[in-house]
Amino acid sequence: MAVAIRGRARNRKTRGAGDPPDGGAEPVSVSWASRDRGAAAGLLAPNLILYTVFIIIPVLLALGLSFTSWNLVGAPQWVGIANYKAMVDDPAVPQAIETTMIFLLFGVVPTIVLGLLLAMLVNVQFRGVGVVRTLYFVPAVVSFAASAILWQWIYRPGQGFLDFILSKFGINGPAWLSNTHTALIALDIIAVWLSLPTAILLYLAALQRIPQHVIEAAMLDGAGPFVRLRKIIWPGVRNMTILVVIVTIIAFTNSSFDLVNILTQGGPINATSTLIYYIYYAAFNNVQLGYAAALSVLQLALFAAILGLLAVARRFAR
Amino acid sequence: MITVNARIRRGIRIAIIVIVGLILAFPLIYLLFGSLMSDSQLTSFPPQFFPTSIHLGNYVDAWNYMKGRAVLNSVIFTSVTVFLQWLLCISGGFVLAKLRFRSSNAVTVLLGISLFIPAITTLVPTFIVADKLHMVNTYQGLILPIVAQTGFGTLLFRQYLVNLPGELIDAARVDGSSWFHVLRKLIIPLAAPATGAYVAISVLTAWNMYLWPLVVATSPNVQVMTETLAPLASSEYGQVPENVAFAATALTTLPMVIAFLLAQRAFVRGLSGSGVE
Repeated sequence: MAVAIRGRARNRKTRGAGDPPDGGAEPVSVSWASRDRGAAAGLLAPNLILYTVFIIIPVLLALGLSFTSWNLVGAPQWVGIANYKAMVDDPAVPQAIETTMIFLLFGVVPTIVLGLLLAMLVNVQFRGVGVVRTLYFVPAVVSFAASAILWQWIYRPGQGFLDFILSKFGINGPAWLSNTHTALIALDIIAVWLSLPTAILLYLAALQRIPQHVIEAAMLDGAGPFVRLRKIIWPGVRNMTILVVIVTIIAFTNSSFDLVNILTQGGPINATSTLIYYIYYAAFNNVQLGYAAALSVLQLALFAAILGLLAVARRFAR
Repeated sequence: MITVNARIRRGIRIAIIVIVGLILAFPLIYLLFGSLMSDSQLTSFPPQFFPTSIHLGNYVDAWNYMKGRAVLNSVIFTSVTVFLQWLLCISGGFVLAKLRFRSSNAVTVLLGISLFIPAITTLVPTFIVADKLHMVNTYQGLILPIVAQTGFGTLLFRQYLVNLPGELIDAARVDGSSWFHVLRKLIIPLAAPATGAYVAISVLTAWNMYLWPLVVATSPNVQVMTETLAPLASSEYGQVPENVAFAATALTTLPMVIAFLLAQRAFVRGLSGSGVE
């Protein structure tokens, strides 16, 4: 009997292709199944109702609104694909996409590389290692608003902390946040600082699964740091890298609004006008809700495309 | 010879670890020192590290600038949001992990999708829904749409509970307990570690949330701290003395730093999606 039930549970599992990994589910006994459908519904319903009202309906609404023209007053006017046509003709759109891509590239790549290197650095046992690692993790609790104020002080033109450090090397620092060439990079540096803790944490977890004696044996065999990285470390963290990339991209997508809105408002001269900031601007400054919805659909499509590429990359990584 | 070399290399490595750590945490350490400085010391050049005299009055000025109401609103928003969302997530995750029904997998996938939808995609329509429900500038409007983001938490609890031996629940069911009773007396205590990780990450997210409050809570009655803090970096920059801005930043940040230090395990699990011990 028990075996039969177990078998059935297994079969169900294999059919659920989208299931998150759960490492050997225990079977549920059949006797409860039919009787307790009501209980299941009762416990799950409040969750799903709120989820539907504030997540699913808005997603569908975004899609519907993108075919309308609406300024919040009166009823939305059906305009067909006019918003999408306008998007193609709007020079600010490709510019915003380019800005977003640069922001992502110069933020996510350093986060991954530094995250792995720092995780390798702190992957060692010594007395007080927990306390020292706290220094690496604690920036994770800082909000975008708080970090904006801190970094505003660090970036202060001419007399900020960064320019002070640079002056020691005889460099005259630029006006970081108000220079079109440096503003986006300056925001990236803040976002990297905020994202590093999670990246280090995830990589450290993967590294700790590599037995120390394997690394030591490799060292005794004369494997240098580069060989160790390529032959032992990288295979151990390759799968984790995909997760780190996804988590970091999501974090940077959020920071591409919060930091921009708090520190630069898209400026100077649109140098930091990311796609998300442009959507917000279209919706709440220009009150073009239909156009903003069409831009949101574009944003979602680009986001899905990036994640899709990552999924493909993951296939090949294996 | 080799061991001496190894010991020196180990010492150098530890020194590097400490120095890099101090660099990463530097803005936070400086936040504390700067918030106690006089304005002229904080803005002096070259920058000074240690406060020459302690100015606790900065915190009083910061409190007055932030408005006690915004601090209170942040506390209300964070605690109510996390509590309600936790309730929805643990009961939903329990159902998806342990009760069998036809659309279980479909529901799981549906909840999972939301993890990959950026907040901005649904920002405008969520605002419209809140507007239609007359929730703009109310606590309900601030709280419920965030409570509704149950995807992460429900999947977290589902994943945690799915490994729980079914016999435990069977035993509880034999003596005729209702499902609600099983949830309250068995599941919630057993899921305490998952709850810890979930609460840590959710409190952090809610406390630091900026975009949704910015849109839905524009009246001072419902504004939260991030909204009153953010202008200090741009429009209010130069209007408010730098040392008071630092104290205001410390006021909002230090509670989370302290929480992190007290419950580091829970935070570490939460930040890594609890997949890691």
